Amino acid sequence: MVEIEIDENACVGCGSCVDDCPNDVYEMDEAKNKTKVVNADDCMACLSCHEICPAEAMEHKNIHVAKRLYIDRKVNDVLNKII
Amino acid sequence: MAYEIKREGKEVFGDFKPELIPDECGGDIDDYEEALHVLMKFVGSMSSALEQVSGRGANAIVYQAGKRMGHEAGKMVEKTDDLEKAMQELSEILGAEFYFDMWKPAGQEGYTIEKGDETVVKLIFRDCVVRQTLRRTGLPQKGPLCYLLYGYTVGAVEEVMDIRGKLDIDHVGPNACLKTLTIKWSGK
Repeated sequence: MVEIEIDENACVGCGSCVDDCPNDVYEMDEAKNKTKVVNADDCMACLSCHEICPAEAMEHKNIHVAKRLYIDRKVNDVLNKII
Repeated sequence: MAYEIKREGKEVFGDFKPELIPDECGGDIDDYEEALHVLMKFVGSMSSALEQVSGRGANAIVYQAGKRMGHEAGKMVEKTDDLEKAMQELSEILGAEFYFDMWKPAGQEGYTIEKGDETVVKLIFRDCVVRQTLRRTGLPQKGPLCYLLYGYTVGAVEEVMDIRGKLDIDHVGPNACLKTLTIKWSGK
């Protein structure tokens, strides 16, 4: 069962996740001008919302995390030394 | 003295006869990783160039290539009329690199929907080498390379079930992609 948490302090209320989600998992809370999760059962964990959210305000728990073979470990090693 | 190219790694020397089948591939995991990344860059670059030269025709070319691969792979497994068994076999054909599940919205009873002589099932691709390649090369999803998996899946299903099928891309994401597989029973 997917759990989605929205960091209300971070959410800027742009509604990008509401527009982007193919399964209408999110809705705008007009009173707070923040996103709220209304349909977590239909979330397929595509994480398009993560990619589009400018504030990185959401977290998905208990999902299949796809392999990330594209991450270049050599580049990451260099970055880790700098950051 | 002739100039020699300097390299970091050690060159491997051994004996080899043409009639001998090597019992292992050799190399360590880092070699494979490097090879995979080079291949990803090559394939991504080819896909991009193909689109540049052929425009929308690129999708059809890649689809056809995938479909041919799917038909070949489908010949390796048992034929069946049972959609669930076919999906199981499809998961074996596609392997761990194309990890997929059948998907339905929470309110829907079963995975399949019957529409006249068609059966529709939604497939969610969680792990996909194509997606990895596109992200490695910074290319958008839903482009020609996605049609490779599209063709591959359709080809394999057609071969296993001996029917006509099509796959539509509903949604693409960084962690999963949703596709609709439509099976046309009258095409048998």
